[in-house]
Amino acid sequence: MHETEGPRGRVGMARALAEGHLEVTPSLVDHELNCLVCDACSAVCPAGVHMDPLQVGLRAALEPSLRRSVFERLLRALVFGWLFMDMAHFRLLARCLWLYQRLGVRWLARRLGILKLLRLESAERLLPDLPSALLVPRGESYESTQPTSEPAAFFAGCVMSTALADVDRATIRVLQRAGCRVGNPAAQGCCGALHAHSGDLPRMLRLAQANIEAFEGSDGPIVVNSAGCGAMLKDYGHHFRHDSAWAERARAFSARVRDLSEVLAGRPLKVDHALAQKVVYQDACHLIHAQRVSRQPRDLLRRIPGLVLAEIEEAGLCCGSAGVYNVTNPVQSKQLQQRKLDHALRVDPAVIVTANPGCLLQLQSGLAERDSRVAVKHLAEILDEASSAPSSADAPSAKTTEGFLRTSRAESQGEA
Amino acid sequence: VSSIAADLRALLSASRVLDAPAELRTYAYDASFLTQLAPNPPDAVVIAASTEDVAAVMRYANQHRVPVIPRGAASGQAAGAVALGGGIVLALNAMNRILEIDLANMQVFCEPGVVHAQLNSALAPHGLLFPPDPGSSRMATVGGMASTNAHGMRAVKYGPTSAWVLGLQVVMADGEVIETGSVGSRAKQSSAGLELTKLIVGAEGTLGVVTRLRLKLMAIPPSRAIVLGLFDALEDAGQAVQAVFGAGVSPSAIEILDERCIQAINLYRPAMALEPVEALILFEVDGNPPGARWDAERVTEVITPFARRSEWSDEPGRINALWEARSLVGAAVGMLRPGSNRAYCGEDICVPVARIPETLRAIQDISARHRIPIATYGHIGGGGLHPGHLIDGRDPDEIRRVLLVADEVHQLALRMGGTTTGEHGVGAGCGPYMAQEHRPALEVMRRLKRALDPHGIMNPGVIFDALPLPFELPLSGPVGEPAEATIDPG
Repeated sequence: MHETEGPRGRVGMARALAEGHLEVTPSLVDHELNCLVCDACSAVCPAGVHMDPLQVGLRAALEPSLRRSVFERLLRALVFGWLFMDMAHFRLLARCLWLYQRLGVRWLARRLGILKLLRLESAERLLPDLPSALLVPRGESYESTQPTSEPAAFFAGCVMSTALADVDRATIRVLQRAGCRVGNPAAQGCCGALHAHSGDLPRMLRLAQANIEAFEGSDGPIVVNSAGCGAMLKDYGHHFRHDSAWAERARAFSARVRDLSEVLAGRPLKVDHALAQKVVYQDACHLIHAQRVSRQPRDLLRRIPGLVLAEIEEAGLCCGSAGVYNVTNPVQSKQLQQRKLDHALRVDPAVIVTANPGCLLQLQSGLAERDSRVAVKHLAEILDEASSAPSSADAPSAKTTEGFLRTSRAESQGEA
Repeated sequence: VSSIAADLRALLSASRVLDAPAELRTYAYDASFLTQLAPNPPDAVVIAASTEDVAAVMRYANQHRVPVIPRGAASGQAAGAVALGGGIVLALNAMNRILEIDLANMQVFCEPGVVHAQLNSALAPHGLLFPPDPGSSRMATVGGMASTNAHGMRAVKYGPTSAWVLGLQVVMADGEVIETGSVGSRAKQSSAGLELTKLIVGAEGTLGVVTRLRLKLMAIPPSRAIVLGLFDALEDAGQAVQAVFGAGVSPSAIEILDERCIQAINLYRPAMALEPVEALILFEVDGNPPGARWDAERVTEVITPFARRSEWSDEPGRINALWEARSLVGAAVGMLRPGSNRAYCGEDICVPVARIPETLRAIQDISARHRIPIATYGHIGGGGLHPGHLIDGRDPDEIRRVLLVADEVHQLALRMGGTTTGEHGVGAGCGPYMAQEHRPALEVMRRLKRALDPHGIMNPGVIFDALPLPFELPLSGPVGEPAEATIDPG
């Protein structure tokens, strides 16, 4: 409503900054960093301006002049420099968190108020119950369970392949049932979206190069089940446009990227298990606005027998997750979360379906606080439930998933 | 200067007053090319929450002789809502409540900051419509629409905003609050005295600040149909439109796209595969289902002798697909020249309907002479044309040339017996042409202005007297390099 909090104002401030008419002031930084980078403005811009890359550029330019506390700098170095740069590190953390959740440490930490003390209370609440097995891309391939077989390359994601590995596995199963031979290229990693939106462009570019290389040997569309990652991957081409060594490779990579729902929309996925439930589909900003995908997930849900799809008010409004916005701007994030939940619960759904890990966790934590019984599921999960019974061979299993103690469950069973 | 903000904070809730440089910067422009070239940050911004806020600001400003610039969404392209000479920008877009929908009397009471599309979304469940429809519907506020007397595509049948405003609450320059259109009235017509409502509508905030509107509504037409006509020559298109009016049909919209627009849409959406002709026209008809169908068939019949191809449809899917061509054009014209920006200046002329083909040819001639690509579209039914100039905003010479183009387009409109602004408003952009357009009538307007705003604090520099710009408008010669040479397309 304020010009300072609108896209034109933000572009105007960025431009004035670039041209030397403004200096970096706390007020400017505040207004710029209040941006969700939800791309809702891009979706309706009459002039066709794309906000996301502008914000990425701006944040990278602002970063050196921001005064961050020692703790913050340390945290950023740890998270952006160490954790997200190597999936081995990410998986190590996931294992530690799994232990934390299982060994009673969480119970203790919550009881003793340690989380409150470390100001990690709200962040911790966003943490889902971690699955017992991760999905580790090793260059393996999952055969189509249909007579036809077309190649697809799966982008496993960092949060998706660890905290939400079950969703990744469901995604692969659904793709197999839709007639895809799903490759899972090794050496792929985090997409870099969190880096990009936090002003760490150099590291985002490094992650992008690793992903571009990892997928060059694969065929077919690059299938993503996380809206935020999908939007980032589709922008690689833009970010390397002036880099002669990478421009063409990045462009070719981005041209192959498809959201799961885009791939499934054109394929004969049999969904014959009735799910007599009222479902709300929550549009992820990075799907509806950044990728302009809103029809396909709804069409897929409508294919499910018995399922009633209910629309909600302000469907295109952000849920407040927005990458790490719920950690960096907790107050605004909370307001958006509550608004979204109010709208969704008004139609009394059994399940809220979304296609982005951030939204999923944000809605789950909000519903938990309300002691709501409404479930939040990823689109892949509900399609997995509703699609034909899997044959024994189709599930990504033993060789492809990894247990928390570095031995997969199947292997340890075999040994026993 | 900073004392203005301090004074205002003493009068209003402090959080409603902005004066940080970064914040002021964001209020330094609207959608015009002029303010892209020379942004004008105000001394302070007030985010008004109520009529009382507005009255307090006006009393203060009148006493201290500080300019006040009322501002809605600033989607305007005429530099009409920016502090050209400093002062207070009075942002009204937080006053965005729909106060009452009076179903029985088919009118709505609302605050000026209500966004046009949101108003119609709220009215739709009741089967009602506020018909003026600017292209910027999802951004423009009804207060801004009233202040600029906005038209839109369907004005050819339903008229401009002024036809739908029954009454206004207005804060005058000295802070006095008045109600036009008879106090407390819900009547739909009146002959009681001077029509102050009509005086304030289109005054662009130079006479008072609109703080509440009483708008007339109509029932949503139950059916509509669309006719597409493709014409090898502009002249054929012009004759077709005249023939349609002559045939007793009153279309709800008649939109023309020129050759370059067609090219742009084909680049943007290759699937549309439009023939490369000189003009494409979309006729929309509405009403009851058999009536709309009859109208559509009649329009098709009448234009067929002039058209290379024509078709009509009343299927919603086809209607939307055809309208999409029109709605895409704003974004699509950029495709004609990758890396270019639209320069919104000389973008809103209106000429007699019969002279549209001639005008379009003349615009193409201006485009060729100044080497600035221009894609023109518009509301041919009413004579409104929107030339879209595509420039490289980093090139000072192109900036100079496009300002010349704008001037020639304005002069062309006047020569054709038209006006420099058909629906966007005068602002600072068309101000220099007002004397030429109105001659002694401009002096009468000035007298009215002085009577209502003796200290000249209401949106100075707009309509009546141009303020000096940081650079000279090249009405006939080169300009010095402007302060800022790049444009952002947002």
